[in-house]
Amino acid sequence: MEAIVVDKLTKHFRRAYDKTLKGFFISLVKGEKRYKEFTALNNVSFKVNKGESYAIIGKNGAGKSTLFKVLSGIIHPDSGSVKINGKVAPLIELGAGLSRDLTGAENIRLNCAIFGLDRKRIEEVYPKIVEFSELEEFIHTPVKFYSSGMKARLGFSIAIHIDADIILIDEVLAVGDKDFKKKCYAKMEEIRDSGKTLVIVSHSLKPLRKICDRALILERGQVVDIGEINEMIDKYQDEKKTNNKKKKGA
Amino acid sequence: MLAHLMKYKELMYFLVHKELRIRYRNSLFGFFWTLLEPLGLMVIYTVVFGYLVNLNKGLPEGAYPLYVLAGLIPWTFFNNSVRKGTKALSGNASLIKKVYFPREIFPLTMLISNLVNFIPAFALVLVMAMVMNQPIHGDQLALLPGMILLQAFFTLGVALLVSVLNVYYRDVEFIVNLLMRAWMYLCPIIYPMSRLYSRDTDPVVQQLADLYWLNPMAVIISLYHGIFFPEQGVPAHPAVPGLWIIYTILVTIILFFAAWYLFRKMNRRVGEVI
Repeated sequence: MEAIVVDKLTKHFRRAYDKTLKGFFISLVKGEKRYKEFTALNNVSFKVNKGESYAIIGKNGAGKSTLFKVLSGIIHPDSGSVKINGKVAPLIELGAGLSRDLTGAENIRLNCAIFGLDRKRIEEVYPKIVEFSELEEFIHTPVKFYSSGMKARLGFSIAIHIDADIILIDEVLAVGDKDFKKKCYAKMEEIRDSGKTLVIVSHSLKPLRKICDRALILERGQVVDIGEINEMIDKYQDEKKTNNKKKKGA
Repeated sequence: MLAHLMKYKELMYFLVHKELRIRYRNSLFGFFWTLLEPLGLMVIYTVVFGYLVNLNKGLPEGAYPLYVLAGLIPWTFFNNSVRKGTKALSGNASLIKKVYFPREIFPLTMLISNLVNFIPAFALVLVMAMVMNQPIHGDQLALLPGMILLQAFFTLGVALLVSVLNVYYRDVEFIVNLLMRAWMYLCPIIYPMSRLYSRDTDPVVQQLADLYWLNPMAVIISLYHGIFFPEQGVPAHPAVPGLWIIYTILVTIILFFAAWYLFRKMNRRVGEVI
């Protein structure tokens, strides 16, 4: 069974979007186009099986984050469809969904509530989240005083404890110290083995080989290839090398 | 459509609680500001408009402060919900950009937290009427829950609309601030509505006085006034009894569904433009 089915997904962004009414009416009267279109995702199709760990690889601006936002429901696609079977926990970026003025403890409760956990369940998972994040000392401190590593820890701990079936992870693990990274990777393997679905975007390709089963290479909003993880990483790195050589030659 | 929001009742509870706590954090009187603020305004309006400008004609002797308060407290509920509602989405950009959940929750929690403030504040009006020995009309008082419900739906309709428009055009915030001020003076708050019909008013105003009731908030506030001053309540229409009340209910229903539909439609791109 598939956890995620993405079919012919296309998303355009409007650039030069003027946020004042004045600009809007001027261009309306002149009859000119009010924006330039930019294609962030172009006809993207793929499937992620249930219980699979899936990596999305691509350069900056390839459309990875847009794809993630579409998967988590924050952005609506222009055309194509996204089918998701199960609850999604997105970790879009460092400390996703944390409110700066609230304390760590309040943020845990807020995020659990956002994902539809009831009060009883929140009280059950709360100690687990605190323990995993190793933030016992600072849990009653507002998040704005947290370091980026602490935010990442809190965000990751929440995401893995909210009973989601599908977990989306985007670059979060670029921060955090070595020990915590190790712990996260171990936890990701544990999550994968428990039958949940993982979709990961990462710049550090090395750990992906260990965690993921398959990968998708994205370039300028289009799918280049889909296949077994090691094959894809090798292919991606080869392309990078040849591109670099071309640049040097020119 | 409200059913899927029920799944998020824990979240709404959290957000309402947070909103109330943040509002009164670091203030000495805390919750009492909900009562002190309209009381302070009542004193100001009584001195300025009651004594200096003499807007109290047509009201029983000495009843002007109660009249002001009875209109001001429902108005404050509307005013705060709409003004805060304007920023309900744009002020929560960090959350909206990163996780998905029904975004109607933001204007809705704004409304609920203001409702929580409104109810004890209105109880204060009743207490004041008793202290001032003003009669309270039980038959009108029995309709109070209906009035509050009507006002809540009307307010939510407006708040939904302005909250999503403000994401696209930040100008809305400024327009709303200005319009709300105009709107307040078009409601019977600082002057009794009977003045519109009184003989010493400009004849043009007397002729057009019925148009005044096209403003749903004027009708709603007059409903509250009717509890203490039956002669200041919504005027009966000779042709259709209760015309203005029926009209307000219809406007509220239409506004609410139109706002809900537009909100859903414009919500699709909120994640990008916010």
